[in-house]
Order: sequence, then C-alpha cells, then structure tokens
Amino acid sequence: MARLAMLVDLTRCIGCDACTLACKQENGTPMDTFFARVINVESGTYPNVKRFYLPVLCNHCDDAPCLKGCPNKAIFRRPDGVVLIDQDRCKGTGACVTACPYGNVYLIRKDRWYLNEDEAYERDYVKPRLHEQVARKCTYCVHRVDEGLDPACVVACPTTARIFGDLEDPASPVSKYIVEQKEETHREPFHLLPDAQTKPATCYLGPMADQSVSTLGGRAEPPIHDRGFVEAQR
Amino acid sequence: MATRYAVPGRGPTQKPKGEARVVRTTDSPNCTGACGWLATVVDDTIVDLKPAADYPCQEYNPRGCLRGMSMTHLIYGPDRIKKPLIRTGARGEGQWREATWDEALDHIAAKMIHIRDTYGPESMLLFNQVVGTGYVQKGAQVRMAALLGMSFATAYDFNGDISMGFTHTMGIDCVECETKSWGHAKTAILWSSNVFQTRIPDAQFLTRVAKQRNNCKIVVIDPRCSQTAKGADLWIPINPGTDGALALAMCRVVIEEGLVDWEFLRTFTDCATLVREDNGRRLRASDVGLGGDDQFVVWDEGRGGFYVLPMDTLKLPDDVRPAFKGERQALTPEGPVQVRPVYELLEEEILLEAYRPEVAAKITDVPSETIRSLAREYATNRPSSIIIGMGLNHRLHGDLTIRAVLLLSALVGAHGKPGESVSIYSGQHHFRLDVSSWWFPGGKRPNGVPMHYFVLGRPTETINPKIKFPKNGFKALFVSHGNPLVTEFSDPIKKAIDDLDLFVAIDFSMTPTCEYADVVLPAPTFWEKKELVGTSCHPYLQIQQEVLTPRYDSRTEMWMVQELVKRVDPSLAHHFDCTEDDAIRTMLASGGKEVEGITLEQLEQGPVRLKVHDPEVGCDEQFLEHHLFPPRAYPFPEGAQREFLKTGRMEFYKEEDVFQKLGECIPVFKPAFSHLPEEDQKFPLSIVTPHSKWRVHSTHSNNPLLLNVNRGPVVEINPLDAHMRGIADGDPVEIYNLNGAYRLNALVTEAIKPGVLCVDHGWWDRYLGGGKYHSVHTHQKVKPTHENYYLPAVYAPGQHWKDTRVDIRRVQG
Repeated sequence: MARLAMLVDLTRCIGCDACTLACKQENGTPMDTFFARVINVESGTYPNVKRFYLPVLCNHCDDAPCLKGCPNKAIFRRPDGVVLIDQDRCKGTGACVTACPYGNVYLIRKDRWYLNEDEAYERDYVKPRLHEQVARKCTYCVHRVDEGLDPACVVACPTTARIFGDLEDPASPVSKYIVEQKEETHREPFHLLPDAQTKPATCYLGPMADQSVSTLGGRAEPPIHDRGFVEAQR
Repeated sequence: MATRYAVPGRGPTQKPKGEARVVRTTDSPNCTGACGWLATVVDDTIVDLKPAADYPCQEYNPRGCLRGMSMTHLIYGPDRIKKPLIRTGARGEGQWREATWDEALDHIAAKMIHIRDTYGPESMLLFNQVVGTGYVQKGAQVRMAALLGMSFATAYDFNGDISMGFTHTMGIDCVECETKSWGHAKTAILWSSNVFQTRIPDAQFLTRVAKQRNNCKIVVIDPRCSQTAKGADLWIPINPGTDGALALAMCRVVIEEGLVDWEFLRTFTDCATLVREDNGRRLRASDVGLGGDDQFVVWDEGRGGFYVLPMDTLKLPDDVRPAFKGERQALTPEGPVQVRPVYELLEEEILLEAYRPEVAAKITDVPSETIRSLAREYATNRPSSIIIGMGLNHRLHGDLTIRAVLLLSALVGAHGKPGESVSIYSGQHHFRLDVSSWWFPGGKRPNGVPMHYFVLGRPTETINPKIKFPKNGFKALFVSHGNPLVTEFSDPIKKAIDDLDLFVAIDFSMTPTCEYADVVLPAPTFWEKKELVGTSCHPYLQIQQEVLTPRYDSRTEMWMVQELVKRVDPSLAHHFDCTEDDAIRTMLASGGKEVEGITLEQLEQGPVRLKVHDPEVGCDEQFLEHHLFPPRAYPFPEGAQREFLKTGRMEFYKEEDVFQKLGECIPVFKPAFSHLPEEDQKFPLSIVTPHSKWRVHSTHSNNPLLLNVNRGPVVEINPLDAHMRGIADGDPVEIYNLNGAYRLNALVTEAIKPGVLCVDHGWWDRYLGGGKYHSVHTHQKVKPTHENYYLPAVYAPGQHWKDTRVDIRRVQG
C-alpha cells in the first residue's frame, strides 16, 4: 500500500504563483481553470496587518466527498490514494463541484483559450491534453508520478516548499521531512478544513515568521517641509 | 532534490506527436535572474518548460518563476511582430506597411547615411536594454554604434537603477553578494526590497535557509505590507522618503551604545582621513610634504604624527593607530591649516538632535524603541545583511539615503562575510566579464551620453564636460528591447522623439514604444537566439540556446547590425564577419580572470561557475584580499573609477565643490519632496511604483496567461484615504496631479500605509481605463552631484520618480 501526499511548507512558500503557472504549463488548462492556486489573504486593520499565502490544490481525500457525490461513478481512488476523475465516464453533472468543500474541482461549459486559434502550440499541444465539458482537477500529476517524476508544481517550486511522496514509506521525502521538521522546528503537519472530515492527503506546515508590525501608526506623512526636522538639525 | 527532468510535454491523455528533443537553455529578461530551463521541443514548438535544476551548487536548484514558465505565451502570443514595419501615417497613428528586410534596412540605412553626413554620426543614439544579460546580441548593437561613431545611452542609469549612493561610497554603482550568501544571515533587513516578488528564484535563501535553519530575523521596511512582509518577523511601515533619517538614527544608536567596529573603519573606510577646515578638501600627503597629491594621511596616535595611507593595499600595519577624533594642525605650503578626521564630522552630524531616535520617530513613523532595537540587532545578531530595493534609490536624495545605509553597515562592519553585506540587485549592470573585445573593436567606444539629456533635449548647465552632447542635437534613435514609452517619463520622451528624423524600435512584441516608431524590426525572443548570459544573482555563466528557429520573419540583432553596417559603411562590414560562437569565444578569451580557462565547449554542457570566491560576499577583493576600492566595473579598464574614489577606501566624506555647495559632503537626511515646486508639493498623497511578480518591467504586461491570474491594473489605497474621497473597493478612479492623470481601479486595502498609493510598475496603456500610465511622475531632473564625473552606468545621473505627489478621485466607469 502507498499513500501519496503533498506537503506544503508555509515557511518556505513565498506566494509566488510558480506552482499555479507550472500546473497550467503541464496540464494545459484553459482560461480561468487553476488546479493549483495560491490564495492571497490579508487580515487585520492597518497597521496590524498580516499577509498570508495559502497554496491550494486537490486534497486527494481518503474520504472524498466528490467521489461519493458522483452519480456516474466517474471518480475513483487509486490504490496509492490519488483521487481521479475518469474523463470518459464523467457526464459533467457538477455534483463533485458542489460536493468538494475546498472548491478544487472545475467544470466549465465552454473552454476559452489564450492564443490565436491557428497557433499550433495551443491547438496541437495544449488543448488535446484535457477533455472538454467534464469535471477536472489536480491529479497530483500521476502521469509524471507513474514515470517516477515529481508533480510539475513540485519541480517548479523555486523555494522547494512543496514536498511530495509516499506517507507510508518512512524513506520518502515527505515522510522524512515531516520527522525532520518535528525535531528541528517543532512543527506538525495539518490539513485544511479538518471539520469537513474528508481526511486529506495534502497537508501543510505552518509559517515560522512572527509577523509583527512596528509603527507609531501615523495617519499620514509628516508635513513636507518638516519644520520640526529642519529646526532640530540646527 | 533530483529535478533534472527531461519530460516530454504530454498530458494525461495524449503523447506528443513527432520527435521530442530537450534543450538546456537560459532566459535573459530584465529581472536578471538568468534561470536555467529545459525546453522540450517537438516540430520546432516548445511543448514543455521545466527548471533545469542542474547548477553544480545544489542550493541554486531549481531556479525559475511564473514568468519564465509563461514565456510560451509571449513566444506564441498575439503581439509578436511578424514582419518589418514601416510607418505610413503620423507617429503613433497605427498606420503601417509590411516590408521586406531589404526594404526596411535600405530605408534605415539611407536615413543613417544622410544623418551621418549632414549632422555627424553622434546624432544617432542607440538605447538598448539589459546589456548585462545579453553580451553577444546587445553587444553587437554596441559594436555597431562604436564603429559608426554613434552615441550610446546606457539604460541602467536612465532606468534609475544606478545607485549613486554606492558610487559615491564604494566607487561602483552596485555591490552584490551572490544570493546563496543570504542564507547565512541571522538578521536580514529588506529595505524597501520585495524579493518574494522580484527575486523569486533567490527568495528561498531567506525562507528555506536563513529562516528555517538559522531562525534569521527578517525585517521588512516598506510603506506597504509587501508580499515579502509575509515572510518577515517585523514589518516597519515607514513614511515614504524618510529612510535616510531612519538609517542615521540607527547610526546614532550604534555610536551611543558603543557598537562601532573600529577595526573595520580603520581598514576599509576614509573615516580617519583628515578634512581641511579652510577649503573642505581632504588633506593630501603633499600638503604635509610626505608624498603626492594622490596620497592621503591620517593622524597616527602611536607615532604622534601623520601617516600616509598605503595606496596598494587596505591593510595597515598593526602599530598604526589612526585617530578618529581630535582637531589637529597641518603645516601646509599655504600655511597652518586646522584638520579634523572624517569620523568626527560624521559623529557631529549624527549626534544632532534631528537623529535622536525620539525625533526621527516622528519623521519616519517608526517608534524610537524599534529604531534602537533594530540598530542593536543589526549590530549584534550577526551575520547581518541589508538588501536595498529601489524605493530608496528612485529619489532625488536616494544617493544620500544609500550613503547613510552604507555608513550604518560600515559602523558595525557588516561586510565581507557570508550573510554580511549591503546588496542592491538593481538590474543586471554588473558585467561578469570584460566584454570589451567584442563590444569595442580596437578599443573604439561609442559616444556615451546619458539618456536623460536626450529626454531633456539639451545638456544641463552642470553637465560633465566628458559627455559630448551632439553639436547638432539628436536626429535618430534606436530603441532595442526597451519600452521607454511605458516608463514614468513617457510624455517627455515622446516630445523628444517628435524632433527626430528617424526612430527605430527593435523588439519581439508590439509594445507602446514600437507603436510610436518609424520603423519596427522584429527580433526573436530569448528562446530563439544564442547568447552568453551572466547575472549578479549567482555566479554561473550560461549559454542561451537557439531553442527554436526565429519565428515569423524575426532576425537576430547580430544579423540586423551585420546587414545595416554593410549598407551604411561597407568598409566596416568585416568587423561583423563572424557568428555568435565567434563572439563568445572572443569575449571568453579576453574576459578577465573570472572566466580564465572557461570555454564555449564547457558552457555548452551546462552552467559554469565563474572563478570567484564561494560564496561571493560582494567586493570580495576588497574585503577578503584588501585590494583598494573600487572593484573594477567591467567593461571599463582598471583605474577608470579612481577619480571618483580617490582614497581607495569607502568614502563617507565627499570633498568636491558640488558636494560642499549642496551640503552633501557627508550623508545627511534631506526631506524627499522639498525639491519639488510649491504647487506640486500641495498634493496630499505620495505614490510608489514597485515591480510586481506578474511582469519584468513591462515585459509580460501582455502575457495572456499571466493576465488571467493578475487581471488588470489597480491602485492600492488605504481605507482611510479611500473613504475620505468616497472611493469603494473596485471603483474606477483617476490618479492625477499637474503632470498628468490616468485611470484604473481602486483596491482598498489595509496593507498599505495611509497617505501612500501604490501602482505596479510596467502596465501598458491599453490596460488602463484611460490616460497615460505613470504620466503623473515628476519630470526629468538631474542632480548635480551625479554629474561631477562621468562613466557610463557607473557614475551617471539617476532617477527620482518616487518623489511624486498626487491625489486620487472617483470617476465614472
């Protein structure tokens, strides 16, 4: 048995969206479809503002609501835990889109594209990668994984914040990283929306930065001529 | 992590047809990241891009970012220029006719010959971007300009990236450690630098290494809670333009709390040199009969006499104890003169009431306790690094600010070790090798003229006499891979172009600049031509391969100049009788010690580390080997910078008349906006224009893939400022002042300081709701201290567009 999983270390992540674009490059997704996304969160009021970047992708849940919700039995779970949508069986009902508490399944009636229609690159090499009018989502790049490669977002992450592997193999990069970080930085992996009880495979390690802010909280800039300063200088 | 993947671009359902080949290349846009890529090519089409991740130094793997990853959508994008275009209507009207290369080149050559014979060749100006990334192709253009006697304007200074604060202090316009060095830091101050967006491939050295391994304290000083503030322990929302006051207040804390590294000041700085009270000049050895007027003296407390500083090493004998304080008398040929050490002058300034943290707090909006603790931490929690961003530098007094930051670093001696440096990754001006043999055939250089004077349309009164402004003015302009009509001075540039007989634009995308040209020449992207690429971010030299046949009718810059020179002056054509490989071999053979022994054949196999220290710490020869400052600025000969750093040490005292006249001999703080006309100062808001992760300057502005994530231009505004003006999130708004106005949408956010607006740099006009992008920015002005000497892109005028004041109002959508 195996349990493939991705871990995103939010200390390493810089919110750069390289994963978003690497995924588009690899999977050839149409406009407005992002199997990997980065949610940009701002919280608090000035000056006590915090910024937060949360990369999200399919959680490949053990208890996947999309799988249970599909009326056509088009969604299945591989023995290694990867949840896939059978592109031939899918009838585009959208039940999985509704069922997924994370909003990570995409269904578009009509794909829109980026380049001119006669552009061979998109026409011949990008568009054929995915079926139209079916539900689509992140596959953990199983087509790569099955060839012994890491998912596209993992190899493209410039901060190596995404770590992929088999959770049940203690020698896998992801298992080793979890143990190492528990020891070195005292962080434990967590899942998103634990209340949804979907048992996700995608997990996270938290940010280490304190993110405090220091200002007098001035309303605006000082007067331009700044007499105070000029006088003080004398 | 093993990431040397050669993955054919295929999806879950279909294998690519045709034979796939994988090419290792690098890109060379103006982010200057120089990232290695593996491109999978089928039928002359790139079907997959992955980071090459093959740098021998594993820490650098992988390199790449969302922009590099999206390059396919520019290569195949709808804005590619397909054929040479000749304007048929008025400038900017959009009336073109497609031409053959012969037609276009004959047309240009005929005009060039006419201009050369009527006004002189120096009336033709070449302005090309990122020469530091493209040694071969951009170099070919410079080679042409040199041979024909044309003028050449370096882009780096016009872009405002030149950091005159560094030039004044270290004798070179920028100093950088390789980014791997960041990982060693325990304190990292990102001073208006947003590396999480602008240095994406290198940011890991802060997060993955410095933070995760050393629990480095990361501090971001920025009026805006930038993306980098996400990874910071402390965000300091400073009042825009007051960074100099903060730096000097920190200097004061260092001095008051006894944290000064005297050994560093003694060895590497001019702090013990003596300043004459009578004329403000530095005391020379010749003044006291101990040597020449190019030698300087300190007062040696050990011997109780003047000591002449060696001019062949920074190392002082152990028993020399230079005095940092105390007035003394020097008997000069003109009579007795009172002299004081530079340090004493600095301390006198810094101990002024203005720099007491409690006073500086009110100016900067940084609490005095933070100023104190930050200074302490920077001085004691070592190694400590500062990375400077352009928010400091794009100001008229940005040079003073950077001098103040460098003073802070010198006082605590935070240089010369891994994790200790003050770095400024401002554009790729730092040439990694001497390119002279290719660029300047037979030592012939083009006539260097800063672009500022072209835009002003005339020389300033204070122009450096070394700069030869063409006697008949400018008549032709060649812009290659630049987009000056999307920069902050687009209107004045347009006016200057209107007076020209010929304006040629060379690019791969039909930019707003191309749209205003007389002739547009289609160039290949950096995936369709061969180049030799270096960067200051990492010390690897790489080859950019011709991954694809140049698309449409695009031709390399090398080919274009070969053909032009043939037409304009056939007697010079033999200088271009060579290939890209020949040019690379020529440069490597005479590129200096950094490339000694490196061959084209090695480079074809993958990235090759230059012969430099590991890790590079910035000014390695000075800090590690005690060579005199400044480090050599390629492609200029050894000694070319000596005149503006006469002591050969980090200079915190500038003696020249112009500094004395402006009261800038030592780094002082000058309020940022006080140089603006009264009527401009009345506008209540300041505006910052940072780079974003979606573009490299204006490149990728039109990338459909990135536009899908990034959508459109917005102005970030604090709710306090927005509500006061009845502006809600998403509202169409206009930013305006006396210089101009433009429209876009409001992004009301708590993540920006009240009183400050923020608009990303680099949007093309067509994405705006109206008006001219960045037209509000203050107009061209040259600071006289930047004209005191001249060395293209090393000692030249900078920019000050962030000194702009504006207001904003809601408009009908």
